[in-house]
Amino acid sequence: MKSSRRKTLIRNFVIEILIYAVLVVGYFILVLRLLGGVLEGLFEGNLTVYAFVALGLIVAQGALLELVTSFLVSRLGLERVE
Amino acid sequence: MHFPIADVVISPLFLAGVGFLVGVLGGFFGVGGGFLAGPMMYLVGVPMNFVVGTDLAHMTGKSIVAARRHRTLGHVDIKLGLLMVLGTIPGIEIGARIIERLEAAGSIDHVVGMAYVAVLLTIGVFTGWESLRAMRLVRTERMQAKDVLAFRGVTRRVQVFNLPPLISLPGSGIESISLWVVVGVGFLTGLLAGVLGVGGGFIRMPMMVYLIGVPTHVAVGTDLFEVVISAGFGTLTHALKGNVDILIALVMHTGAAIGAQIGAMSTRYFVGPRIRLLFSVLPIIGATLVILRMLGLVGGT
Repeated sequence: MKSSRRKTLIRNFVIEILIYAVLVVGYFILVLRLLGGVLEGLFEGNLTVYAFVALGLIVAQGALLELVTSFLVSRLGLERVE
Repeated sequence: MHFPIADVVISPLFLAGVGFLVGVLGGFFGVGGGFLAGPMMYLVGVPMNFVVGTDLAHMTGKSIVAARRHRTLGHVDIKLGLLMVLGTIPGIEIGARIIERLEAAGSIDHVVGMAYVAVLLTIGVFTGWESLRAMRLVRTERMQAKDVLAFRGVTRRVQVFNLPPLISLPGSGIESISLWVVVGVGFLTGLLAGVLGVGGGFIRMPMMVYLIGVPTHVAVGTDLFEVVISAGFGTLTHALKGNVDILIALVMHTGAAIGAQIGAMSTRYFVGPRIRLLFSVLPIIGATLVILRMLGLVGGT
């Protein structure tokens, strides 16, 4: 791989990490502040509903984060690796 | 930061960092990463029953990312993955019930900890030995390194095990193999998933390579696909038993998502034996972490 191409790739990768870090910090605040009490209440009150909500949340987050990271990877041209 | 469901205090940045590391390893080796994430959570004081269930939850989300990335690289044998699930699901359910019994008896930490150490050390030592033999074969026999396997004798004997029904796995280049071998591998790894809270990938990936004869890169991708299904089921069954702190899983997963992309893309630059050699170190690290925690040398609140 040419040196200039490698530098562009590394720069774009760092940009992706920074964007992602900002999103993650914002997400932490959202998840931990807003969902914490709700999920604890469900866990104590109705384990069946909690179980399905938990599975739904992690699958939804998986799909969402995959979309976000794929978008960043393609937007920044990281897939075009020699 | 206090996580009320498991009633522990952990830094969310530590959890995201663990998730990132496990994501890279998972995307590269095709494992769920539970054999590292589990001991790491145990290390900081998460109760063992929550370690088991929460680990499966985080793995479900992480594996979606990595599996999709491997699918685009052509590394997923969907037929093989779906057939293994037939054994994995009952294995997980039995494993989850074992955990319930152990928790009721008050011996869960000791028993599950010892099981972790035994399984991890066995896998690590064996895989390391095989991959070194394979790399020596590449040098001495001047073979193509892409997927040399120093254990082909056992693979051939398994493939001629003719208990019907026999199936073909064109996605893995296998012409004929007994369905019971595939389902058996799925059941054993499901049992481990249910008891140890791991996706089973650290044993499923080597078993696919050494017993079924799947090429390493396809074993990596297919394993991740199977983890999505088995870990998802494991999450549900453990959550119904009160063993999942979904907040911890969601936080860990934020780091895992980016790590999984990096790990999956990196497999293009390594050949099979070298991937397996690097892989062999991981279970040994996991076993060490568990031993340190059990000896009380490290721990959390």
